[in-house]
Amino acid sequence: MYPRPIGEYHRPASLHEALQLAGSGRGGAIYIAGGMSLMQALKSRVAEAERLIDLNHIAELRGIAEEDGGLTIGAMTRHRDLAAQAGRLGAYEAIADAAAHVGDRQVRNRGTIGGSLSWNYVAACLPTVALGCGAVVRSVGTSGERVETPIDAFQKGALTTALEEGEIVTAIHFPRAPAGAGSAYRKWGIVHDALPVIGVCVHVQTADGRITGGRFAVTGLADGPARSARAEAQMAQGFAATDAAAISACAAAAAEELSPPGDAWVSADYKKELIAQLGREMLALAAARATGG
Amino acid sequence: MAQTIRVVVNGRTVERSVPERMLLVDFIRDELGLTGTHQGCTYEGVCGACTVHLNGEAVKSCMMLAVQADGEEITTIEGLARDGALHPVQKAFNEHHALQCGYCTSGMIMNAVDFLRTTPAPTEAEIRHALIGNICRCTGYQNIVAAVAAAAAAMRARAAE
Amino acid sequence: MTTMHKPLIGTSYRRREDARLTTGFGQFIADIPVANALHAKFVRSDRAHARIRRIDVARARALPGVAAVLTGEDIREVIPSLPNRSTQPLLPAHYPRHWPLAVGKVRFHGEPVAVVVAEDKYVAADAAELVEIDYEDLPVVTDPEAALKPDAPILHEGMENNIIFEMTLTGGFTPEEQAANAREVDAIFAAAPHTLSRRFRVHRCGVTPLETRGVVADWTRSGLRVWMSTQRPHIDRLVFSDLFAIPQNMVHVSAPQDQGGAFGVKAPVYREPIMIVHLTRLLGRPVRWIESREEHLMAVSQERDQIHDLEIAADDEGRILALRDRILADNGDSCEGVFWGFVMPFYGAAMVPNGYAIPKCDIHVRAVATNKSALSPARAFGTLPGRFAVDRMIDILARKLGKDPAEVRRLNILRELPHVSPTGVHYDYSDYLKVWDKLIETVDLAGFRREQAAARAEGRHIGIGFGTSVHASGVASVALVPMEGQPGYGSATVKIDSRGTVTVLEGDAPQGQGHETAMSQVVADMLGVDPEAVIVRVGDSVATPFASGTFGARGGSYTASAVALAAKALRSKLARIALHDARRNEEPDSVTFAGGKLIAGDGNPLTTFADIAERVIMRPLDLPEGMDASLEHTAFFEADFPMMSYDAVAVKVEADPETGRFRILDVTVAADVGNIINPQIVEGQTHGGIVQGLSNAMFEEFVYDANGIQLSSTLEAYKIANAADVPPMHVVHANTPCRHTPLGTRGMGEGTPGPVPGALVNAICDALAPFAVEIDSLPIRPDRLWQALRAASAG
Ligand SMILES: Cc1cc2nc3c(=O)[nH]c(=O)nc-3n(C[C@H](O)[C@H](O)[C@H](O)COP(=O)(O)OP(=O)(O)OC[C@H]3O[C@@H](n4cnc5c(N)ncnc54)[C@H](O)[C@@H]3O)c2cc1C
Ligand code: FES
Ligand code: FES
Repeated sequence: MYPRPIGEYHRPASLHEALQLAGSGRGGAIYIAGGMSLMQALKSRVAEAERLIDLNHIAELRGIAEEDGGLTIGAMTRHRDLAAQAGRLGAYEAIADAAAHVGDRQVRNRGTIGGSLSWNYVAACLPTVALGCGAVVRSVGTSGERVETPIDAFQKGALTTALEEGEIVTAIHFPRAPAGAGSAYRKWGIVHDALPVIGVCVHVQTADGRITGGRFAVTGLADGPARSARAEAQMAQGFAATDAAAISACAAAAAEELSPPGDAWVSADYKKELIAQLGREMLALAAARATGG
Repeated sequence: MAQTIRVVVNGRTVERSVPERMLLVDFIRDELGLTGTHQGCTYEGVCGACTVHLNGEAVKSCMMLAVQADGEEITTIEGLARDGALHPVQKAFNEHHALQCGYCTSGMIMNAVDFLRTTPAPTEAEIRHALIGNICRCTGYQNIVAAVAAAAAAMRARAAE
Repeated sequence: MTTMHKPLIGTSYRRREDARLTTGFGQFIADIPVANALHAKFVRSDRAHARIRRIDVARARALPGVAAVLTGEDIREVIPSLPNRSTQPLLPAHYPRHWPLAVGKVRFHGEPVAVVVAEDKYVAADAAELVEIDYEDLPVVTDPEAALKPDAPILHEGMENNIIFEMTLTGGFTPEEQAANAREVDAIFAAAPHTLSRRFRVHRCGVTPLETRGVVADWTRSGLRVWMSTQRPHIDRLVFSDLFAIPQNMVHVSAPQDQGGAFGVKAPVYREPIMIVHLTRLLGRPVRWIESREEHLMAVSQERDQIHDLEIAADDEGRILALRDRILADNGDSCEGVFWGFVMPFYGAAMVPNGYAIPKCDIHVRAVATNKSALSPARAFGTLPGRFAVDRMIDILARKLGKDPAEVRRLNILRELPHVSPTGVHYDYSDYLKVWDKLIETVDLAGFRREQAAARAEGRHIGIGFGTSVHASGVASVALVPMEGQPGYGSATVKIDSRGTVTVLEGDAPQGQGHETAMSQVVADMLGVDPEAVIVRVGDSVATPFASGTFGARGGSYTASAVALAAKALRSKLARIALHDARRNEEPDSVTFAGGKLIAGDGNPLTTFADIAERVIMRPLDLPEGMDASLEHTAFFEADFPMMSYDAVAVKVEADPETGRFRILDVTVAADVGNIINPQIVEGQTHGGIVQGLSNAMFEEFVYDANGIQLSSTLEAYKIANAADVPPMHVVHANTPCRHTPLGTRGMGEGTPGPVPGALVNAICDALAPFAVEIDSLPIRPDRLWQALRAASAG
């Protein structure tokens, strides 16, 4: 199918220019990043663009940088570039885990982390990793005001975020993690690398071989990615990083707490089971990474 | 409702006025008559039949607008052979019977060529992972995987010369 | 020096099609340039069952660039409805009347209701959005059992219920004979030491090709010209001629040289091409329609979807004594020219006994209309659910008897061939046991069982499962005439021109089977010419002799045979003329054709192929008595006996009893495909068939919600196996030359997917035998397996 008529197409070279275009008071502006979600929406005509503003030529939105011991990823950084960082992301390996299996090569060559977070689809990998890793979303509104929004506040349910009209995500910041932190992400889909039926991201804090706290985020739920308070409570109480029984119990707590919807393809029960299975695997992997094991 | 774009397609600069909403794949097929790039999806962008190179990288041309290609370089399957010499991947596809109907083939080859550029010595698992974005309904993939592996070996051998 | 011709038949000659297809110069339907063409876009029903109250096309028609907007009311008086004489098989059934656009009501989500024609495809899409349809919803039935209930909504006016087709396939032709047979079967069951009864269900899935359908039609003063994606251009020509009352010799239908797969989907006579032909006639301009993937997934390519209530009676060793099967097919709206949905389950029912020696069967099939898209043909044509049911049942029997399923299966494999099955299907001579034993040897069953025991001791669960399949190698006229009212013979013309180059014309329309290569190999061997110089033209209703089309694995059996016969006729003619010219008095058979030369029996060259061709065509003087200058020969081939191919498949898996996840380790197919023209092509066809079977079993599923709304109309939702999803595959052969074809070849590949799902599920159940899980339905996914494991452990 073909998009509805597009009124204007703009290709700003700077953030400033992009914001001006969007904020000209005329409304109807839509940003296009990798287009891997937006083009589906335009072609299926669930969305239309009076004015399409292409973010692909704004250099300042790209790149991965260390910042105060943390990690700052430009919104227009592509999945492919994130995947290439595998083994170099320290406490945030989950980012590469996720990026390496988003769709396929061609999708990863275009799709961006900023687009993924801004779209916040119900079954999406990077938003879940951002939530699991406690990222902070940096953005600029059309008034030029720079905003930092903790991911928990940024995500507001399926396909909804805290972004105001015309606001641009500039970067995702992953704050400095103390020593002994690690993370991991894995999803299960019906075919290899499909959109996740369930995906789990775990970020753990360890000390002396024990998990002392962490975050546990899940995708595949009706309202977008969510954390499991119960699993996180167990992590906060602490257990040995290699304690398989405790790890299982922790993941089982998440499975019990969260209620993924059943659908024609996968039952609600099995989705819960997937939370438990993937949760175990990711807890163990994150803990192993955190403890250098 | 239309914009003039200049695109280098298979090494040749073309200039056309196109509606903003025109898909890149339609620009390639309908405007330029390069029908080697195929289409297998409505809007989902899953099948990979439309894969071309944008500045050397494999992308799905149904998932971009033609206006986005303004000022960029596009290579399609028609532009892959250089000076009449087939690309090693094209040759390997024939030798290993990696195609039947040939509908997936252009996209499959374009993706494989980009993949081998970034991964010259892939394992079988890496090849399979790299081809996820290209559905083939006919071959069951085994011969495609073999062809990509053989092309990689041939290209390494040639590079070593 | 004598030139020897190195035979090409039997060699993996590199495919000739590839040169254009690997460089982007193939020509598929969407690539055909037709100047001045309008673009059509169908507006489809957004609900499953509703009366059409009113359609407002004013806004759509007013959009600049729109040439026409038509609805069912605009065509019902203008285009004859189907069925007509060229689309109705001879089987007794209800053939629901329908037009290319819905008239009065819609019966499935996705049915064409209106069509928009515009200068530009983008504008056509814009206009389609503006067509306003006012519906009155009707009760929806999406389940075949519900459709049989007395209070079920009835889809088709004038029918008392939703049963489209019903038949008992065993016992004879009269109700009395059939009842007597059923009583005999009952008696065997009553006396048998073991009986088993299960319900097997195979979901709706199919083999959607990567290229969708398309039509370009142009009605001019000189007649109707149509390019379309089709497996059967000659049949399409006949249908257009009948429907539009234009003589066949004024209709020219071409399948494009290249088609992006079909697997059965492009065989029926569908609504859309008829509509496009009407539009070009009406508008006086070429009209083009390229189907979207969404349309394709909603309207065609849905198959399988059968319930088998299967019972078997067996002796203590596991020999099946009798089989009873009650088959219920979910036929969808059943509006589909030639196949009508039910022809597939009918054929599937006929093939239920498969290659097993089952003395007595009682098989009954019903196909009922529901608010879904009609079943359309898909590779393994109607047989996949029956294969699944019977092959699963054999494993269940083996478990019950405490025997290895391989042993029980071998016991039941047909040994005496030729054979007429209890449903009356003829199987020609082959050696199924040889194929089976080759499979068992290749997978090293004994070694695998040891490995399995060792793995189990370590808590790993691996398993092996089997399936088998007898499938038609082309369908002979004796079978196809009653089934579809159409002939099954193969046909081909071979032409030699005055410079000695050879052209093959076949009326089939292949879609990836490598006919150009295989037919060139045949001709090159017959005529001793360079295969690269042979041109093979396919799928053109004017240029080629009448043919039934590419389906049912006819290429290697029927069409290759016709090519061989035609080439052979020309060969003897040339040999006779060459001998005559040389004043030699030998038998034409003594002449060898090799390296572009004709060589006498004593090794002396007679002439070159090019010279003799020129001499005959351009200097037709002093020809042998009674001979003319024609070097064109058309041969029709009809086998004296229906031919079959045979596959046996083994799947090895590792399954995790805790998570329900499983991994396929590898798949092996052993087959009898007769003499092979091109091993590489045969192997490739087999790979593709295996993966289609696996993908059907695990991933693909057409999903309708309770209101009949389709949820699987994108490739994101209708999941097809990708490269990372498939296991290594091995293909081996135990071939028996076919006795009924000139080259000993059989057709192959069509039935390959059929036995794969059963083998996969058998393997999973074998791996998890300690947990006593039993899976009787598809798709098989970790979810289903995990639930089954939980149910089994709950006792
Ligand atoms: C075949 C296929 C498979 C896929 N598989 C997966 C998968 O397995 N897992 C997964 O997570 N995702 C998957 N995706 C989606 C993919 O991750 C997309 O890349 C992502 O969802 C959107 O990123 P994008 O850069 O393409 O954004 P776009 O599609 O360009 O934009 C998405 C939305 O975000 C807005 N936007 C984009 N960038 C910004 C910004 N910087 N500031 C403000 N707003 C912005 C746009 O206006 C738009 O509304 C798949 C997509 C395809 C086509
Ligand atoms: S047509 Fe572009 S991915 Fe299918
Ligand atoms: S060769 Fe037909 S889809 Fe790949």
